Parts: sequence; structure tokens; C-alpha cells
Amino acid sequence: MKMDLGRNLHIFYIGSLVLLLLIGSAGITQSMGVTAYEIDTAHSMIIFRAKHNGVSYNYGRFNEFSGKIVMTSTDVSGNMVPGSMVEFEVKAASVDTGNEKRDQHLRSSDFFSAKQFPVITFKGTEVKTKKDKKDVLEVTGDLELHGVKKSITVDVEITGRAKGRDGESLIGFESTFTIKRSEFGMTYGMGGISDDIRITVSIEAVHK
Amino acid sequence: MLILKQLILGLLLPAAVGGGILVLAKSITLKRERTPKAGLAPEWLVAVALSAGYIVGYLGLEGLPPLPPREGVHWLCYLAIIGLTSGAFCYSSLLGRLIGQIGLSIVIPRLLLNSAFKYTWGPLEGIIWWACIAVAIFIFWHIVHQNFTILPTDASGMFVYFGLSGGTALILALSGSLRLAQHAGILVAIFAASWIITLVGQRSESKKQVFSISASPVVALIFAGIWMNGYFYEEVPAASAILLAIALFLAPIGRIERIQQLGARRSTIVQIGIIALPVVIAIGIAVARSGLFGENSSY
Repeated sequence: MKMDLGRNLHIFYIGSLVLLLLIGSAGITQSMGVTAYEIDTAHSMIIFRAKHNGVSYNYGRFNEFSGKIVMTSTDVSGNMVPGSMVEFEVKAASVDTGNEKRDQHLRSSDFFSAKQFPVITFKGTEVKTKKDKKDVLEVTGDLELHGVKKSITVDVEITGRAKGRDGESLIGFESTFTIKRSEFGMTYGMGGISDDIRITVSIEAVHK
Repeated sequence: MLILKQLILGLLLPAAVGGGILVLAKSITLKRERTPKAGLAPEWLVAVALSAGYIVGYLGLEGLPPLPPREGVHWLCYLAIIGLTSGAFCYSSLLGRLIGQIGLSIVIPRLLLNSAFKYTWGPLEGIIWWACIAVAIFIFWHIVHQNFTILPTDASGMFVYFGLSGGTALILALSGSLRLAQHAGILVAIFAASWIITLVGQRSESKKQVFSISASPVVALIFAGIWMNGYFYEEVPAASAILLAIALFLAPIGRIERIQQLGARRSTIVQIGIIALPVVIAIGIAVARSGLFGENSSY
């Protein structure tokens, strides 16, 4: 009987210790607030625009892309804790401007060279919150397009946070930035199609 | 303004540079005929003419290519330089020339089609494609070499290559790559200049052939490079690519006795007609595939 009590106490102590450790580690994780999101492509969009003949803006989109976002929570002062990560992969051949003939031309080596460089990637290397705007992040990363990798810094607005129908966490982002296609080796038809390409990325991401 | 710039840089300048060096080569050849000296300088100048003409056009359209080349088109400039270097060894021993041809036929597709090896083909599929392309380049190079050795000294020989590069440019443009079509356009300009020089030369005192076998590596490698880019990285129909290659196989047809019996003018017309037939069919296929006359014919 004595032995059983001692054994039970022993189990209780060990159990308590394990529980404390679990609570403690959960607390640490929560304080770091690391949340991984996957991009919901059905509710996300990557569009771009280029000026044609210096007259009008023509718009296009990429229909196939994927990516993930790892968000670390902000500390008291609102700065992002190091560890946030953004990764995007866009299929160059999925370019869609609403005109098959033009899309075929865009996929050719005149522009995206989609067979040689099938994937456009963005890998974030640094995420910071803007000092004056808490919902705007400053994301620096490597954009690889047409086989050329360049570091870019873009402002990303957190457009909303909510719970989905199944209780999953949702978060929305939007970023609009301009690149010069010539800097990525796309120099064909510079007279007719602008060098400046404005890109808008609108993302809904899900934490499952 | 932009089109004018492309015309000057992509057509007129290569024609002027290539044609100028060819005239120089011909004048040196004429002098040597009168006072024979040893050396191969004028023959190799033909390779220089083609290579320099193409490189000038390339630089005008694309600027300096990166090293190492990033995409297939960048290799074209280096292929012109490799072809020029190989041209210097055309008169070396048969074994040496064959080893060079086999080596380059193997290495070039692996380098130029690196993206296809990386993204499109699996390991086995890649090896099969590599072997087939290497064999095709070797055979094509050999045919070009033979053509420059046996083709008639008249202008019809030049017209074959003029037509072939013209057909290639048209097919590439119809397949959606105007950039690559411009590269074939550079060849059109150079061969047009060579054709005119040959025509003028036929009426002059010397009927010596303008072209020499030293030009065969330049021609073979640039054509092979453009076709590989067109077929594997653009949307050139397979049938069009095959028909273009067949056209060159038909080049020595003028040597058939029955055709030669037709007389100089008629035999030339028959020869050009036979070569033009597959090129025209190839263009026709590209036109049909391009939807040129469809709803989305322009944008």
C-alpha cells in the first residue's frame, strides 16, 4: 500500500513536470507567435500592367502560383520578430492577358522565355514593420525572373485578419510595386511596351 | 524609329560588314591568282565575314551576351565565335576535323538546351534527346561542309542559304518569337549580300567561288543554334523544322546529270525550285499553326 502511494506520487511528480514543460514550451511558442500560412490561390491574385505604345495600360495575370508565409508575432513595440518568411513560386507559362496570341508571345523568348525559365520566384529575406504604420510590412527579398535574381524591397499591407468557416485563421496581404523589366534581361520591344511593369499581389492565406 | 534602328542594326550593318569582308576576301583571292602565295587567309576570311557579320548584328540587337550565357539566344553569339575558330581547322586532317565536329556536336546541345535538361526532360529522355540532337548536328554540319565543297560556283549556291535563312526567319516570326526571327534575319542579310557579290563576281573576270569550306562551321553552328532555340524553346512546328533541314539535303541536286543537261539557267531554276518547295511547305505549316488569319491574328 505504501509502495503504491509512493509510486503514485512519483508518477504525479513526473506528470506534473511534463505538463509544466509542455505549458512552458507552449508559452514560449505563443510568445514567439510563429504561424505558418499557405496561400489560398482561389482567393489570391497576381496581376501586372504595362503601358502599350505610351498610350494605354494593358493588364495581365498569372493563373498558377503557390507559396507560404511564416509570420512571427510582433513584439511590444510592434517590430516583427526575426523569423518571418515569405516564399512565392509563379508559373511563367500561366500568364494570361485575355488574348491567346499575345500570351503565346509573352511566353516566348521575347519576354518570359517560359520554357527556359518556367518559374518566377520570390524569397523574402527580411520582414520589418513600418514604424508609422503597424499594418504595413517592409519585405525585402530576392525576385528571380527570366533567370535574373535581384533583391527588391516592397511594402506589403496587411489587409485583414479573420476566422474562416472552420475556425481556421485567415490573413490578407496586398502589395503593389514596380519593376523595370530591362533589369531582368527582358529588353524586347522597349519602344512599344513600357520598361516599367507595375505588379499587384493580393493574397489570402490560411493557417490550418 | 525603333523599326528603323532594328533594320539598320539587324540587317544593313551585318550585310555591310559581312559583304565588305567578302569583297576583301575575293580581292585577295584575285591577287593570289595572279601572284600565287601560300596560305589560307582569303578562305578563312569568308568565315570571318559570316561570323563578324552575325556578331555585329547580334550586338546591335541584343548587346553584349552575358558570360556564362543565361539563355539559349545568348549562345548564338558564342557559336559564331566557336564556328569561326573551327573554320581555321577546316583544312586540317580529316581525322582532326571529324574529332572537332563530333566534340562540338555533343557539347553544344548540352549547353544550349540546359533548361530543357533541367526542367523538361527526365534523365533517360534527356540522354535520348541529347544523342539524337548530337547526331543531327553532326550530319547537318557534314552536309553544309559538303555543300561548300561541291556546290556550283554560281549564285544559286548562295541562294539556297538565303532562302533557308529567310524561311527560318518567317517560320520563327509566325511561331511567336520575333526576337529569334531577327537573328535569322541577320543571316538573311549576310547571305543576300553574299548572293549579290557572287552574282557580280560571275560577270567579272574571275569566276572563283566566293564561299569556302572554312565558312561551314559558322553556318552549321548558327543555323543549328537558331533551330534548337526555335524548336525547343519556342513554338516552331516539328514538321516545319524537319522540312527546313530536308531543304538543305536537296542542295546538291543541281549536280544530277539530267538537271545539268537542262542548261545553266533552267537547271538553276529547277534546283532552286526543288529546294524552295520544302521551305514553302514549312512556312505554310507555320502559317496554319500560327492562326495568322484567325480572330486573334493581332493584338
